[in-house]
Amino acid sequence: MKPTPRVAPLLRIFLVVLTAAWLASPAQAQLQIQITSGVTNPVPIAVVPFAESPTDGTDVADVIQHDLAGSGRFTALPRNKMPATPTSAAQVKFTDWKAAGSDYMVVGQVVPLPGGQLAVDFNLLNTLTGQSIARQRFTGSAAALRNAAHRVSDVIYQTITGIRGAFATRIAYVAVAGEGADQRFQLVIADADGYNQHLILESRFPIMSPAWSPDGQWIAYVSFENHLSAVYVQRVQSGQRTCVSMRAGINGAPAWSPDGRKLAITLSGDSGHPQIYLLDLSNQHLTRLTDSPSINTEAAWSPDGRYIYFTSDRAGEPQIYRIGATPGSPTQRITFTDEYNAGPHVSPDGKLLAMVTRDDSGHYRIGVQNLATGDFRVLTNGRIDQSPSFAPNSATIMYAERPGQGQAGILATISVDGLTGLSLKPTKGEVRDPAWGPFIQ
Amino acid sequence: MSSESVRDRWLSIGMSVLLHGSLVALLALGWWHFRNSPGPAPSLPINATVVDARTLKGVGTAPTPAPQSKPAPPQAQPPQATPPPPVTQPEGPPPPTPDELAMREQAAKEEARHEAEAQQQLLARQQAREAREEAQRQAEAQAAAQAAAAKKAAQAEEAAQARKLAEAKKLEARKKAAAAKLAAEKKAAEQRKLAEEKKLAEERAAAERAARVADLQQSLQEDERAAAASGALASWQSEITSRIQNAWIKPPTAQPGIECVLNVSLVPGGSVTGVSLGRCNGDAAVRQSIQTAVYNASPLPPPPNGIPFPRQLIIIFKPTH
Repeated sequence: MKPTPRVAPLLRIFLVVLTAAWLASPAQAQLQIQITSGVTNPVPIAVVPFAESPTDGTDVADVIQHDLAGSGRFTALPRNKMPATPTSAAQVKFTDWKAAGSDYMVVGQVVPLPGGQLAVDFNLLNTLTGQSIARQRFTGSAAALRNAAHRVSDVIYQTITGIRGAFATRIAYVAVAGEGADQRFQLVIADADGYNQHLILESRFPIMSPAWSPDGQWIAYVSFENHLSAVYVQRVQSGQRTCVSMRAGINGAPAWSPDGRKLAITLSGDSGHPQIYLLDLSNQHLTRLTDSPSINTEAAWSPDGRYIYFTSDRAGEPQIYRIGATPGSPTQRITFTDEYNAGPHVSPDGKLLAMVTRDDSGHYRIGVQNLATGDFRVLTNGRIDQSPSFAPNSATIMYAERPGQGQAGILATISVDGLTGLSLKPTKGEVRDPAWGPFIQ
Repeated sequence: MSSESVRDRWLSIGMSVLLHGSLVALLALGWWHFRNSPGPAPSLPINATVVDARTLKGVGTAPTPAPQSKPAPPQAQPPQATPPPPVTQPEGPPPPTPDELAMREQAAKEEARHEAEAQQQLLARQQAREAREEAQRQAEAQAAAQAAAAKKAAQAEEAAQARKLAEAKKLEARKKAAAAKLAAEKKAAEQRKLAEEKKLAEERAAAERAARVADLQQSLQEDERAAAASGALASWQSEITSRIQNAWIKPPTAQPGIECVLNVSLVPGGSVTGVSLGRCNGDAAVRQSIQTAVYNASPLPPPPNGIPFPRQLIIIFKPTH
């Protein structure tokens, strides 16, 4: 008999071979699946209450849970839905936690050490594999317990997202307390979650524009304590401070260069047109950068130190421009969306430019522009949102929010994707001008 | 055809030619008259003369067209009161004088005499021709009689030969018939044999055809099954892919350029029992995320058509955005 023609011999051969391979040698034949995309959902995690210890009442697990959930990248299992309260991996029955929907769980304990120190032990577990993927101990005084909890959050955050956590960092802001003759302006340092506040300066006159030095040891700010604006730099730890600029006219908007050696400041001199200058902190040498018969202010450095972003109304409405950090550099306009863009702040990774933008409704909101693509998006939806400041991991922006006319301003955070926002711990009076400090080494 | 009839025919042809020639001549003369006439003036004198056929009887019966074609002699006609014809017109002479009439009569008589002589000569020539023809006819008849006798003799001989030939042919036919009968019987036998062979061959061919068709159908069915299995297989793979992609919470560090391979162990039913990381250029977050995704996708959807679950699965995580 002659061979019969086959319609799709190759296909048949392939399938026959494939099927036969499965059947005959399952241990060696393997089907390949390629995954090219995923979802951006928050990661479900359970932070089980830590074993009790004699502390000041700090709930370490609660601090961690608040940190993680507040970042927008995690969703925490409420305590009342937890199947158990294990404090070590050995006590965990993983199937229960898997059934509860948590991919990961944190168990730990606070252990008192000789000498009054405390140790925070934690273990990050993958409930699906049953493996421990991070475990560590932080020790410190009882007063540093919250900070220890933030450090645990940092480890968990980095282990699961791949991004360095910025929970154990600090912020500076200006608080306004009292009214009338009793009004006080305060320069405050606090943990990134708003707790653990420390007053480092108080004045009857306005304090503005705090800025962290790159090493986190200094803060520069503007104070009107002598009835005139002046720029000061102050050591955070000791309170030691120096006035670095008290020239005629405006002295404002200090910004540290990435190497910490210079301040970009705004000076108006006698001309009435504020310009951007570079002030060398080692020798007080002043270099003028901008030269435009218009307002030029709010300098912000690029992370590589090559450029200064600033606000200028040279085109009529305030917009953001960029100029090289050396004299005579050309100026380039950066923002074109909306009629009002001001208060630039460059993300530490150099990818994003945050700013205050006035949208069509007349509200001032926080917008972000991708510096590579020019893509722009508005992140917040308040009425008057101001002073954006990036977290050192570039994942979150802190800003001042004035909820309504006559209402005190508060601080809030928003993830750079705009998905998760969080208001910080309420404080008495109004808070404004937040500045997110660097990673603490 | 006899020579007589040939002669008759030539005579007829000659007379026909003569008659037609006369008609042509008459037409030509008429045309010439018409061309040279002064036009259609109603007052023109008619120069033709009505001739009664009876007046020609005495001239002769031969259908000689010549006298008829001649223009009639001018008749005494009263001059017309209408304007005289043009000078150039040859017709329409002045009225003849008595001398002229006498001369014309004389000429007519002369002409009649000539014509009678001519008729007589013509008659004599015809009689002579008829005599010649009669003699020829007789000679031909004699020759024909001789020829007929000879032909008859020849026919008799031919008939005798034909009879002989017919008898020979008959004999030959009988022989041939016998041979043909034999041949036919032989041929019939051969045909029967051939038919049987053909029938057998056809049966064999039909059987082969049926077998081929059955085989082709089986092959087609197998191909259809294979194609269906292929579609189902692709669909199944797509299901697995979709399930794992939906379960993969992609960390920010899982950027294009990252490629990680997971070897996944399965049990019948599709549950993931083990995951081992192969080559991977992702960070710890990526590694955790892909393992978690695979476990979260467990159990995987079952394969189609009762194909057992593969024990091993290779999953390549290669984010494109």
